[in-house]
Amino acid sequence: MAQGVCWRSGGEPRNIGHDMFEGFSHLMRNGDWRAELYGIACTLGLVALCSAGVFLLIENDILNHGSVIYLIPVVIAAARWGIIASLVGSVAGVIASAFFFYAPIYSLRIDDPHEYLNLVLFIFVAVVTSHLALQLKRQAEISRQREIDMRDLYAFSRRLAVAFDVTDIHKAIEDHLSAVLERNVLLIANVRDASAMKHSGLAIPDAVIDAAVNAVSGYSGLDSTVTVKSDRGEIWLVRAVSPKSPEFGVVATNLGRASQDEADDMRVRVDAVLADATATLERLGVAHAISEARMRSRTDQLREALIGSVSHELRTPLASIMGAATVIAPALDGDKKLKQLIYDVRDEAERLNNDIQNLLDASRISSNGINPHTEWADPSDIINAALDRCRRRMDHHRVVTDVPADLPMIRVDPVLIQQALIQIFDNAVKYSRTGSPIVVAARAVDRDLTIRVNDQGSGLTDDEKARMWQRFSRGERHIATVSGSGLGLWIAHAFVAANGGTIEASSDGLGRGATLTIALPVDSATVSQMESDADE
Amino acid sequence: MSEPHPIVLIVDDEVQIRRFLRAGFELNNFTVHESGSGGEALRSATLQPIDLVIVDLGLPDMDGSQVVERIRAWSSVPIIVLSVRNDEPQKVKLLELGADDYVVKPFGMAELLARVRVALRRQMRAASGEPTVRAGALTIDLSTRTVTLNGARLTLTPKEYRLLQVLAQHAGNVVTHQHLLKEVWGSVHVQDTHYLRIFMRKLRQKIEPEPNSPKILLTELGVGYRLAQSGEVEPAPNGAIGARAG
Repeated sequence: MAQGVCWRSGGEPRNIGHDMFEGFSHLMRNGDWRAELYGIACTLGLVALCSAGVFLLIENDILNHGSVIYLIPVVIAAARWGIIASLVGSVAGVIASAFFFYAPIYSLRIDDPHEYLNLVLFIFVAVVTSHLALQLKRQAEISRQREIDMRDLYAFSRRLAVAFDVTDIHKAIEDHLSAVLERNVLLIANVRDASAMKHSGLAIPDAVIDAAVNAVSGYSGLDSTVTVKSDRGEIWLVRAVSPKSPEFGVVATNLGRASQDEADDMRVRVDAVLADATATLERLGVAHAISEARMRSRTDQLREALIGSVSHELRTPLASIMGAATVIAPALDGDKKLKQLIYDVRDEAERLNNDIQNLLDASRISSNGINPHTEWADPSDIINAALDRCRRRMDHHRVVTDVPADLPMIRVDPVLIQQALIQIFDNAVKYSRTGSPIVVAARAVDRDLTIRVNDQGSGLTDDEKARMWQRFSRGERHIATVSGSGLGLWIAHAFVAANGGTIEASSDGLGRGATLTIALPVDSATVSQMESDADE
Repeated sequence: MSEPHPIVLIVDDEVQIRRFLRAGFELNNFTVHESGSGGEALRSATLQPIDLVIVDLGLPDMDGSQVVERIRAWSSVPIIVLSVRNDEPQKVKLLELGADDYVVKPFGMAELLARVRVALRRQMRAASGEPTVRAGALTIDLSTRTVTLNGARLTLTPKEYRLLQVLAQHAGNVVTHQHLLKEVWGSVHVQDTHYLRIFMRKLRQKIEPEPNSPKILLTELGVGYRLAQSGEVEPAPNGAIGARAG
């Protein structure tokens, strides 16, 4: 066990020998004799095992000199149970060697004074070997620990990268510190947090929360550590995560029932880990991420409120206009002219409604507010839904669909793709003669699903092709004759891109129609697997 | 018609909206009650018999979804929600709360009337215990668990039948993906929309004359599926306007 040695707090090389003694003294102080006794017992057991083997070999005259065998338990003990066990092993090995190998055998007496030299040599070799084994062990542990650290750190940075709001970031910090300190760690980000904890029913002493509140609100200073002893004898350390950045919050670490010495020791460790964590947090730009997340959620709220009120303020009167028109229309039986006027009211209201929708979509796109709700979707469902929505607009065109029955499912936000298609249909209708065909064809091509919309309209010039996906871009030759905002295709492009797809246009030239193609990725592996999944 | 006029309760704070809805419903032989707030609507719904409630989401005193929830606590009266926001997650939420349908403002009167008739017919069928549901050439007998297409009996797998059964029980209304998955595959699979897509495709191939442009098993994109009712299998009438034609 790496107890007492602060492995985790950095990557700089250190003096292993120094660590060993630090570990030793710590062990004495800690009085963790049980593990030590266990190690010693195991070592003696190994020595006894060797002796049994040696005894058999000697009895059968296979061996008469081999005290080197006793190096095996010594090395094992050094690698597994530490320095004390390996020293005990060396001494036991010497005694056993004297017993088995030096005349008179089966007696601890040694006749030849030269043999003493041999035994001293054995002890020397044993101590050196065990020291080397110990070093190896330490290094292996350090590299294992580094690997864990790196993994923790990697996991931590990934969590930060996907953290959506401040709470996510704080939770990530809390989990990271818990993993690193191997203690129950609570992160208190602000006073509201603290009072929530007070009423959460978690077993957190009020004194701890009070100390945390003081630290969070800056009364006790960001760089001081407070030790709190709860009624149940648990010791808690309360300390700001970073002396510089209050937004990282305050951590309360539960040390359990620890002695004063242990608490001091843990305190040093907590400080070291926190210093390290703060450096990491700063390196990963967490402070920036936190403030950005706060900002983001504020802009999100603002945008939502704006969209909500614009929707409401503009659509409510439109709803009255359209509703009233559609109530009046059937009542005007007979009078064709009046009926046409009423239908104009209805159609214009609908057009206005589409313009409002485009403006709202545009504001969502420019503020990065598109959050696709992806799900498995049947491409033909999306195409049908889009055609359905445009049915009346496409009334005067010949719509031809070519959608095979066995298209692969795609994982997209079907509503966004539908809206992109509606924009494309709308475009095709606007720029082609009434009565001309509009062909909608879907295909599975390699790892893509393509939806192609072809019209026999005014076509595209190279210049138009280059600019058509830009915001407010409109073809010069149509500005006077066809109404539009120049937002539609830009929206279509953004919605398709939000689903990981692409959109392209081609045309044989002026007056020869245009073909717009949406390509969406298909994950073939997942699709074939899901076929078998769903079967009963 | 000899039947008494159905009674509809309109809950919307905008006078103009209430005015055209009243006119539209009265021209189509409905009796209309109005409320300008959620509280008033809840009182009104408890004090008199109501056949259908139309509730706007944005009310001055409470959210329309609360009205849905509170009416659902004691009544199965059909509820159609009106909203200015065409937002699929919100639709799903309202349907799960017990709303029968969701219409986005602005809409045409004919579209709303079509939805209202579907909801009323379903309510009537539920009350009469009528076990057969018809949609176009398709007949589903829920009591004998038989499905016939143009009079010929169809062979469905148990899961296909279960899917059709759940849709038939709510014939005319949208059933959310989550609800279908829970009912057919169990609650652990509520996220597995691909099961639904695959089975729906198989089912359409057995049922629809043109599986590629379905007229019976309709998709409500991002929300769920709907079994068309006999009357509406044909495309929506000319007067229907609005974002979501049937």
